[in-house]
Amino acid sequence: MLSPFPPASRSEAHRGRWLHGVAVAGLIVGWLAASPAVRAGDASAGADVFKSECAECHAVKEGRNKKGPSLFGIVGRQSGSIADYNYSDALKQAQWTWTQDKLHWYLSQPAKTANPGTKMKYDGLTDAKQLDDLLSYLSSVH
Amino acid sequence: MLSHLIRRVTRRARPAHLGWAVAALLMFASTSVQAIPAYARQTGSACADCHAGSYGPQLTPYGMRFKLNGYTDTDGKGFKIPVSGQLTETHTNPATGKSTTDLTEGDLYLAGRLTDQIGGFVKVEADRTGKNTYNTRLSNVDLRFVAKELKLGGKDLTLGVSVNNSPGFQDPIAALPNASFISPIGVTGTFLSQAAPNGPTNRVIGATMYALYDKNWYGEVGTYRSLPTSTQDHLGYNIASDPGTLHDTGYFRFAYMKDMKKQFFSAGVVALTTHRSLPRSGPSDDLTDLGYDLTYQYLGNREHILQLSYVNILEQRKYGADLFGPGGVAAPDRGDVHDQTLTATYTFHQTYSLSVSHLISSGNHDEVRYPPFGDPNATSNIVTLFWAPFGKDDSYTTIANLKLAATWYRITRFNGRNDNIFGAPPGVRPTNAGDLNAFSLSASLAF
Repeated sequence: MLSPFPPASRSEAHRGRWLHGVAVAGLIVGWLAASPAVRAGDASAGADVFKSECAECHAVKEGRNKKGPSLFGIVGRQSGSIADYNYSDALKQAQWTWTQDKLHWYLSQPAKTANPGTKMKYDGLTDAKQLDDLLSYLSSVH
Repeated sequence: MLSHLIRRVTRRARPAHLGWAVAALLMFASTSVQAIPAYARQTGSACADCHAGSYGPQLTPYGMRFKLNGYTDTDGKGFKIPVSGQLTETHTNPATGKSTTDLTEGDLYLAGRLTDQIGGFVKVEADRTGKNTYNTRLSNVDLRFVAKELKLGGKDLTLGVSVNNSPGFQDPIAALPNASFISPIGVTGTFLSQAAPNGPTNRVIGATMYALYDKNWYGEVGTYRSLPTSTQDHLGYNIASDPGTLHDTGYFRFAYMKDMKKQFFSAGVVALTTHRSLPRSGPSDDLTDLGYDLTYQYLGNREHILQLSYVNILEQRKYGADLFGPGGVAAPDRGDVHDQTLTATYTFHQTYSLSVSHLISSGNHDEVRYPPFGDPNATSNIVTLFWAPFGKDDSYTTIANLKLAATWYRITRFNGRNDNIFGAPPGVRPTNAGDLNAFSLSASLAF
């Protein structure tokens, strides 16, 4: 069988790749430990979740408000902060920051439960993977 | 109206013009109402949010909710001028007769919200009737008052009133003939069909009350009366197609609909009952329409959308007048008419659509009412391929749109036959069902 590596070189290559893997794993673990708010979703799958769950009322284009405000840069944004969108009083008074954790909490239940008085009509997303995927996608929109 | 004009054609026109007439009428049906840019401006939504193909008329579940909410949803940025327009240029190529290319229709829409509880849809339509001549008429009307975000037993409840001029046009599922604008052609038709001869479409005024409970259960009840013939005339309608006087008219609708975001389905029943005097001074016919409809939508991530609908309406008639044909043959005093429509639409990327409809109009044998064979059965197909490049979130414009459509009209049976459908005597060139076929290309611009 043909091989690109002579026997000795193949062994070194295995060792090198193992060390590289350990280093990457360590970095990921460290990063996750340091940033508990980051969720491991698939942003690409999240784009599809967004289209079926959110896109009728929200756009991700900056400055484009529909029935709901633009979600461009939503992760890390202060609630009720888009100047030309007419928020409900309930959301104006919420005064929270849309971290991934906050969004996860908010979107996993009916909007009117999370923020009584809100204009948003959404029953919540109960599928944990879809929610993580969606949050990963929203994190990428900035 | 379709049937009425087809009947006029069958009586008066030369066979070479039949295909043109049918094609023009069917085309009119297929372009009747589309996505309204005024609604997009009002809501900030894209056309594609409410219409799978970005131009309509097929509604997405979101579009249904917008209609149920009385056309009042908004992006909250103040008053928007509730006016839109549409122009349609059409090239028609009938199987027999001359091809034509004309500006066939110009529309003005007054469509949008007045307050948070009052909104509506009014269409004024100018249809080409001859060289540089157009007939302007008041088309669909649907004015609504709605009470939203109510609660009953802890569940969501929406209550509304619709004042409209076509039974079924106001339906949120939009599968019924006056809402889908697809009706079987033929020499007869149910009262709920826009193709019914002397049918009520746009010639009546009525009010219905509706309720949507727990987001899934829809009920509606209402009544209609026909407009005076003088009013029909003023509104642009030929009084020869007057629906007559209507008494004790009841409209009933009940449906279950389920929006699962990626999929949607509905199952509904509809009924319309009336006593109709036609002519107005004549005896009264008892008409009862009983129908059901089933729809399904696969929406997924909106890249591939499939919409299916099936509508089956049976009309039972009890005629008030004795009618005799040649030789003193008495017509039956009762009869049934049956309309069936099956439509499948596939839409790619909310831009390219292929829609196929199979339409059946049938009824009891009646030598007197359905000459020359006594058989009213007709079968036809409509196939439409269209492209609507705008009206998506990422389009050049989300508040105006263009639609280029190619449509094939295929009639396989008329008056119960494929060949010699009008019973031409020997020596006279017969007209076959296929002679009514037509192809058209149309460009519609909505703004």
